[in-house]
Amino acid sequence: MGTRILTVEDDERIRTAVKLALEDEGWTVEEADSGEGALLAFGRAPTDVVLIDIMLPGIDGFELCRAIRRISDVPIVMVTARIDTHDVVAGLEAGADDYLTKPFAPKELSARIRALLRRSTRPNVAGHARLGFGDLEIVPDEGKVVLAGRELALTKTEFRLLCELASAPGKVFSRESLLDRVWGYDYFGDGRLVDVHVRRLRTKVEVDPANPRHVITVRGLGYRLQS
Amino acid sequence: MAAPRWITRLRPKPLGLRARITLAFALGAALLSIVLASTTYVVTRGTLVRQREAVLLRQAYLNANQTIDAFGTNGGNILTRLQNLPLAGSKPVVVYQGRTTPIDPDVGLDAIPVELRNRAATGVPARMRFRLDGKPWLGVAIPIPGSNAVYYELTNLAELNKTLRSLAAVLVGASLLTTASGILLGMWASGRAVRPLAQAARAAEAIAGGRLDTRLEPVDDPDLRALTNAFNAMASALEMRVERDARFASDVSHELRSPLMTLSASAEVLQSRRDELPERAAVALDLLVGDVARFQGLVGDLLEISRFDAGAVHLNLEELLVGEFVANAVRASDAGEGVPVEVDDDAADSIIRADKRRLAQVVANLLDNARFYGGGATAVTVSLPEGPSPESVLIAVEDAGPGVPPEERHLIFERFARGTGAGRRSTTEGAGLGLALVTEHVRLHRGRVWVEDRTDGTPGARFVIELPVTE
Repeated sequence: MGTRILTVEDDERIRTAVKLALEDEGWTVEEADSGEGALLAFGRAPTDVVLIDIMLPGIDGFELCRAIRRISDVPIVMVTARIDTHDVVAGLEAGADDYLTKPFAPKELSARIRALLRRSTRPNVAGHARLGFGDLEIVPDEGKVVLAGRELALTKTEFRLLCELASAPGKVFSRESLLDRVWGYDYFGDGRLVDVHVRRLRTKVEVDPANPRHVITVRGLGYRLQS
Repeated sequence: MAAPRWITRLRPKPLGLRARITLAFALGAALLSIVLASTTYVVTRGTLVRQREAVLLRQAYLNANQTIDAFGTNGGNILTRLQNLPLAGSKPVVVYQGRTTPIDPDVGLDAIPVELRNRAATGVPARMRFRLDGKPWLGVAIPIPGSNAVYYELTNLAELNKTLRSLAAVLVGASLLTTASGILLGMWASGRAVRPLAQAARAAEAIAGGRLDTRLEPVDDPDLRALTNAFNAMASALEMRVERDARFASDVSHELRSPLMTLSASAEVLQSRRDELPERAAVALDLLVGDVARFQGLVGDLLEISRFDAGAVHLNLEELLVGEFVANAVRASDAGEGVPVEVDDDAADSIIRADKRRLAQVVANLLDNARFYGGGATAVTVSLPEGPSPESVLIAVEDAGPGVPPEERHLIFERFARGTGAGRRSTTEGAGLGLALVTEHVRLHRGRVWVEDRTDGTPGARFVIELPVTE
């Protein structure tokens, strides 16, 4: 069975056109016209990527995103109206892995989806049995992260981000290089993707997220993992 | 004959509020001090002169009485008697039986005014002020009863005048001092009076600059409260209106974006099957795909500029190495393919605080502009402006087109403006909003943009963005 993509969009015409374009990529496309419908469809069959328009009737895109995050680490792409509103950050904080602004070219969407699929299958540090950083332990092959003996539920993007940082402990990674390695973006990737994901990662891997001991901010340069 | 135009320029500029308040204080202080000083001078002089005259008169009577005794004894002894009188600077003269006895040979009968002598001749005491050798004198004439002798006492009043002159000098000084204080007080008061206006001006500037939530602090002063309240009400109304416009723009954005989304996705599906289409359909599809992209760009620009108008654009600022940024921006733009980027060594590591995507859009728009109107950009350069310690960096896009005539150099940054010569060449290309958006973006980055001739002497336009560098 091929890759399954769930698109959540209330405008039927857009949904149909996007479905046609994504099917041209060889993917199976499920459709939902509301958040409620999306949750039903999500429960019905395993899904590889979810595409959510934040402007939905009923429960909105943010709410739907949080609802899916509670039960799954599936990659989520948000579709927002504007790039400079707080919608982007709000969407990322609700658990989205990436975002697009409307109207986007379907080619761009497929590129994002491919990057997410690659990300969820191929961490950079595969081959190491396990990596330990104090009370934090990463098991790359099993996609498992343990903090003080307790297994953490990271999303695939958070896991990939942590693995990239763990590939060179102590080395400072710039936002640009993390955008390139984790999201597959060029120079013009949005640094907020990295910032919000680091923030979310910290709420999981840090005992006190306000005083991080593992994922350290290097002012003006980027982030590093404390070795 | 019509009045020459320069006459209007000779009309004095109306004074500012501060100057007027200061002037009013100064004039008031000057007027008041002049009136006070004049009154003081007149009153004091009157008093001093009267006192002096009274003293002199009394002294003259006493002296006259003593002199009378001398007449009783020995008329020849008068001079001795005169010399023994307590005179305090007065010069007595006794005229008796046509004989004049002056104590001072310089002040004799000739010194006594005829009028005073005439009045003394009537037998009553008289006094008179007169001038002798340009100096003020007081003359007192006392006819001695029982004889036709007259006792004159002449006193030089120069001393009194000297006192009055120093009084006048002191009063003038005091007046000047008071006027100066008036000016200072006026400056202070006018400063205080216009301070609320200056605050209002600053607030208005802040609002014009996009900080729509700026308000004036409430004040207790009932005169100012009206201004403050009106200003804040206006600012609130403006903010609400701007918010409504911004909401409208985002509503329109959603309405326009959805059909565009369908169009572009459908066009892409069709395009991937272009080979299966008949020849004529394929040509039609190319037109469709091309214009969907153009439409998308135009709508995007329109929405963007309406957001600028609504003050709803927020920059996502980060620190960028200008050389690296420009190279990437040129590479990422459609019209920048193959365009060389020349970065001066001293400019490469300049750091700017900018919104990466927006500034890349600026560069892309300039490259598009060069493609549409200048036959394509020939180079993009990054350099520092001339000067000892440049605080900005210049990013320039050059082309080899016809250039922009000086009279059009401002106009082309207006919305939907096109160069006259270049417009013919590509009537269908370009939305006409590209340069207007460049202006808005650069302004938001606290920079400037302009167009000039190429600096290397080759014909062509050079669009320059100047951006402040950070420390």
